[in-house]
Amino acid sequence: MALGIRAARARSRLRASSARVAFAVGAVALAVTVAACGNGSSSSSGSVSGAGAKDGFTQAAQTSGPLVVWVDSTRVPAAQAYQKAHPNVKLDIVTYDGDANGSNTLQTKVSLYNRTGSGWPDVVFSAENNEIAWAQPAGFTAPLSKGLIPDSVLNNFSPGALAPCTVDGTVYCLRNDLAPTLLWYNAPLMKQWGYQVPTTWAQYEQIGQEVARQHPGYIVGAAGDTFTPEIYMWASQCQANGITGIRSVTVNVTSSDCQRMAALLDTLLADKSMSKLSVFSSAFDKQEQGKVLMMPGPVWYTGAIFNTTSGLNTPKGLLAAAPMPQWPGTTPATTGNVGGGLWLLSAHSAHLAEAVSFLEWVTTNDAYQADMAPGLPAYAPAASKWLANQQNSGYFANNIVPVIQQTAGQVWQGWGYGKFSQEAIWASTVTPGITSGKAIVSMLPSWQTAITNYATAAGYQVSH
Amino acid sequence: MRADTEAPAVRGVAVPPGMRSRRRPRPSRAARQVLPGLLLLVFVVFFVLPVIWLLLAATKTDAQLVHASPLSFGSWHQLRVNWDELTSFQGDVILLWLRNSAVYAFLALAITLAVGIPAGYAMAMMDFPGRHALLITTLVVMLMPATTLVVPLFLEINEVHLVGTLWSVVLPFSFYPFGVYLTYIYFSTALPRDLLAAARIDGCSEFGAFRRVALPLAAPIIALVGFFSFVANWTNFFLPYVMLPQSSQYPAQVGIALLLTDVPQFNPTAGSGTVLRPELALATLLVIGPVLVVFLFAQRYLVSGLLAGATKE
Amino acid sequence: MTPVTTDPARARARRAPWRAVRAGHAFVAGYVILLAAFGIVPVVYGIYFAFTNAGNRWTGLSNFIQSAQDFRYVAAFEHIGVYLTIWLAALVVLVTALALVLHQLPVWGISGFVRFLYYIPGALAGVASVLLWLFMLDPSVSPAASFLHLLGYGTFSQVIAPSHLAILFAMIAFWTGAGGWIVVMYGALNNIPLDIMEAARIDGAGAWRIARYIQIPMLRKWIVYMAILAFAVGAQLFVEPQLVSEASLGVGGRDYSPNQLAYDFAFQNNNVNYAAAISIELLVLSLAVAAVFVTRSRFFDAS
Repeated sequence: MALGIRAARARSRLRASSARVAFAVGAVALAVTVAACGNGSSSSSGSVSGAGAKDGFTQAAQTSGPLVVWVDSTRVPAAQAYQKAHPNVKLDIVTYDGDANGSNTLQTKVSLYNRTGSGWPDVVFSAENNEIAWAQPAGFTAPLSKGLIPDSVLNNFSPGALAPCTVDGTVYCLRNDLAPTLLWYNAPLMKQWGYQVPTTWAQYEQIGQEVARQHPGYIVGAAGDTFTPEIYMWASQCQANGITGIRSVTVNVTSSDCQRMAALLDTLLADKSMSKLSVFSSAFDKQEQGKVLMMPGPVWYTGAIFNTTSGLNTPKGLLAAAPMPQWPGTTPATTGNVGGGLWLLSAHSAHLAEAVSFLEWVTTNDAYQADMAPGLPAYAPAASKWLANQQNSGYFANNIVPVIQQTAGQVWQGWGYGKFSQEAIWASTVTPGITSGKAIVSMLPSWQTAITNYATAAGYQVSH
Repeated sequence: MRADTEAPAVRGVAVPPGMRSRRRPRPSRAARQVLPGLLLLVFVVFFVLPVIWLLLAATKTDAQLVHASPLSFGSWHQLRVNWDELTSFQGDVILLWLRNSAVYAFLALAITLAVGIPAGYAMAMMDFPGRHALLITTLVVMLMPATTLVVPLFLEINEVHLVGTLWSVVLPFSFYPFGVYLTYIYFSTALPRDLLAAARIDGCSEFGAFRRVALPLAAPIIALVGFFSFVANWTNFFLPYVMLPQSSQYPAQVGIALLLTDVPQFNPTAGSGTVLRPELALATLLVIGPVLVVFLFAQRYLVSGLLAGATKE
Repeated sequence: MTPVTTDPARARARRAPWRAVRAGHAFVAGYVILLAAFGIVPVVYGIYFAFTNAGNRWTGLSNFIQSAQDFRYVAAFEHIGVYLTIWLAALVVLVTALALVLHQLPVWGISGFVRFLYYIPGALAGVASVLLWLFMLDPSVSPAASFLHLLGYGTFSQVIAPSHLAILFAMIAFWTGAGGWIVVMYGALNNIPLDIMEAARIDGAGAWRIARYIQIPMLRKWIVYMAILAFAVGAQLFVEPQLVSEASLGVGGRDYSPNQLAYDFAFQNNNVNYAAAISIELLVLSLAVAAVFVTRSRFFDAS
């Protein structure tokens, strides 16, 4: 297509001079920009406008105005319940993705706000337990244990609940719920087929192999999720995430702790009594409805997988809970943890009093946590009431209260909370291999390399 | 392209100007039509089947999506239910998002046309220092990786304290070098210079010539640039995502990306969301609807406008 | 054709050069402002960031070198290379073929209708099309389930295996982009003078020979133009892998393209300098390829 013959010839003639013009324009623009740059564009966080240091950090000048709260869609009811209980408070509820699955939304937005110097929300819910690893150094999240929230409240959180929130002894966020992993099983079916509920991994593996032989099509677990290592590897004390400091991490996934669990998973995957699918995939719903004999997983599987029409839709009276099986000689017993969620308070908030009130209410108040929350509350008094409500619904086949209380205290403390997402690493490194049938044991070295790479890229010193 | 500059010899065939005759296939070549016809059909299926699925998905429940046949129709009632669920998400926010998209797209479109049509005309028809530089710069700028330059753009907009306002999105949208380039091509091929010269002889000012001669002939290119600009603005994701912090300001594209994260199948932590896949399908339909409508209106200009202008004589 | 301007008119036009120049500048003023503000300044800013560090000190090429040493860098460019090859080949071949075939349809109404059908996916550009394809690629809900099963893929995870991603992204990009380009090519075909076509047909040339010796050479500039733009857009691949990565929870598409890496640098590591280095590299790449295409196809020659 002709560009205009005249224009073409003229352009080739004048290319030299036009290039000069373009360069001149560029040079001028550069000069202007550099001059403009000198006026503090990339200011870091830490608003200093009038108020001094109080409660452990420099507080912004307090004003009146709506309280801006960011929540994911599952926590919208929490914010709405607060609004209902406090009709005089002006609340601005904003839904976002909850920073889930390594999306880094919150970090992206906060880094943009840090550059503009304004726009931070007052309270944020995050589904990413690693949030504090970057939010605290970035000065986004306010310390809570230095005066804003009384110790009497903080001490009532279940032991270990506030571990993801704690840096150098100071608490920087409040935990929403606990998600210890335990063994869910189909009680009538186990009884019908004559299996004992396993207490050791060897027994679990044996049941898995027998099910593969005698009842093919039924499964005793699933290994296709991104949080699979948090269920199995964490419980096995496999050291994939040993955060030992702000800049140091220990990674050793080729150890025997890891090998034995990987071998177990490989055996059951090969037998097909462990599913390669993600429990949230529609393929899983299609294939495994009514076919789940046992399923190790977190507490919140009840509402997310079993007791829902967009999941397995397991009928009443089938589902029972047992503590996670153990390797011989493991004392105390250990289990993993999948999620939980954190509530952060912005250090730049201009409405601290209202924000603190919201924060406390939404994590401790029975009206939301005990009666409405989909997961086990991290606040102990609310947790007992939540468990009682769950048991009273009559859905479960056994008494799950002592089981869950027991597992909540068994989460292995060896896994920390770093700046990089373990789930994302497993998802891109190991899950594709599982899907195509590779043995997890053979992928352990590449998993080690991947964790090391991502940790290094995030600024960590990695030791093995 | 002018016919009189073409080289190949024409064997004295006089085809009446303006007559667009298409030869009917000779019977012996009928078989040859099958292969191309098959090609067209395969691609019709490829392009259209997913959209048909989308239309049907909006009428089903999530369970039906999985268990029923993919191309089955759900029910009108379910469509209504899905609509209610979708609008109940954050209080009709999907409609707010669509309104935002419309506002941003049309505002930017207005500025693009107001600024770009005269610019393309001037580059094609007028002579002034810097014209060639401008043309080359426009061509080069069209190749720029816009997505990666969003961060410097954000900092620049931040300097003038426009972040979070309407203009932080509309102004960058209005910069549409592709539109200017299309306008340049159109005017340089479709507008006879003699007409302009005649207007100048008659004493018209430059602007008068533009208004009286060029503008009336510019309807096709206005429709074309308007259409492309609208679609580009409507489907832009990353710029509004970075510039607009509040979800109430989002355009529809960013909004449905947010909705995606509420669907349990794509985000396990969103366990009890009201937005399931059929609602997401419905939201997607709402988002693409306006573009299709605008396309219908701009249809005839898209083919005839730009390129047939040269054969006006 | 009326004769070109007469001497007095030309002289009169030359006698008022300032008015013409001022008018010319006035016409382009608005556009130049936007061009400077949103075309040039961000690039300059980007170059500035690429050559300095967080403390605004000149660092020479170290940002480029260090970002290239990141463990994801080489793989990202490899992915883009494969993706662009598939994408450009499919685009050029299929769009040209479809436009040619459409042009031969005997009834004009059908041609317009089919073009509209081909264009519909273009309305789904960006986020919407990726969403739709997430469903299309999931054998549990997809209408193409039997086809996917035929290929041996029973689950979504199998479909998005890492080795398939380049083809999948190219397919999604083709699905949304081809329609618009088919429309443009069709219009360009309309522009070919009918007498030439008639002459060729009278000479006994069949459809294929007409296409090969007349139509395609005349489309050459448009094909090159399409290839250049497609390359530039394709090198910036971001939305498709980013959304596939989010929707698959990180299983596929993570750190797939250089743009995603730049995004990670900017927002995860707070390192705008590395991000700018990558974006400058992408810009230089697009310009280099454009220059190659243009010079090798003699783009600016009179046809």
